[in-house]
Amino acid sequence: MIEDQAREDIAFIRRAIEEGGAYATASSPDMLVWGIAVAIGYLGTYGFIRGWSPVAPRALWAACIGLPWLFSLRRVTSRFAGGEVTMHGPMAQALAMLWLGCGIFLTTLGIATILAGEPRSGWFGAVVAGVMGIGFFASAWLARLPWLRWVGIAWWLGELALFALRHRVEALPLAAALMLLLLAGPGYLLLRRRGSRAGA
Amino acid sequence: MTDFDHAAIDEILHSRVRLAIVAFLAGAKTADFTAVRDATKTTDGNASIHLRKLEDAGYLAMRKRFVARKPQTLYSLTERGRKALLDYVAHLEALLPPSGGEPSEPEGNQ
Repeated sequence: MIEDQAREDIAFIRRAIEEGGAYATASSPDMLVWGIAVAIGYLGTYGFIRGWSPVAPRALWAACIGLPWLFSLRRVTSRFAGGEVTMHGPMAQALAMLWLGCGIFLTTLGIATILAGEPRSGWFGAVVAGVMGIGFFASAWLARLPWLRWVGIAWWLGELALFALRHRVEALPLAAALMLLLLAGPGYLLLRRRGSRAGA
Repeated sequence: MTDFDHAAIDEILHSRVRLAIVAFLAGAKTADFTAVRDATKTTDGNASIHLRKLEDAGYLAMRKRFVARKPQTLYSLTERGRKALLDYVAHLEALLPPSGGEPSEPEGNQ
């Protein structure tokens, strides 16, 4: 039937646009920005403990978490300012909401651990790595980028390593390396694949 | 005069691979060759041929650049390509019944 064929073609076009939107969402510069900022936070904390840096970890983390949040929420602020709003399909929105949820969870838990004086227990880095693994593993399917699932698996291996080192200060540079390799790295690769006009 | 003009169907977009490329780029805005090839699940050669046809038709804009000394080809949809996709979808929708094509009642229901 020609009508069935037309419906199938429209569904095919919709799926392809969806995939393009999800690809664009996954390729935004946020991963790169967050990866570098959090790595600076870990390295700065390590430097403070070692006596190499005078910057107190609380002030450092306030900047290393606050500034990326401002960057990630730029679309919301631009909407309030009357700027152009880009609408994506459900798959791209699911991807954006997945990472927003991960970000809110980690930020609230991070603030709670700092206020409770828990960071010295060392488990938080492993939780961050576990959540990053979930984020990448799910993103691999939502954005149809199968190689991202290996990034998720690498995060889970990192989670085990961070848990094993949870009482040692060496967990901090390891966490920083994971952030650079497994968050900023994929972010850079995706951004490079999409070109300099990314971030829409 | 009929509602649907058969001759007005865009021959360029009538190919599934080219349609997928244009639709993918409509969502992605910009993507490199590898991303387009992966999204359309085709080979290097096949993707190149279809991308060239779309470029020749003025539906795609291509630009080359070097990243870490390696050449990278980026594609984006032109205004003409975007309009062609919208027209193509409009032609497909013209094939559907005016009611929006509600699915018929399954057998045994009611």
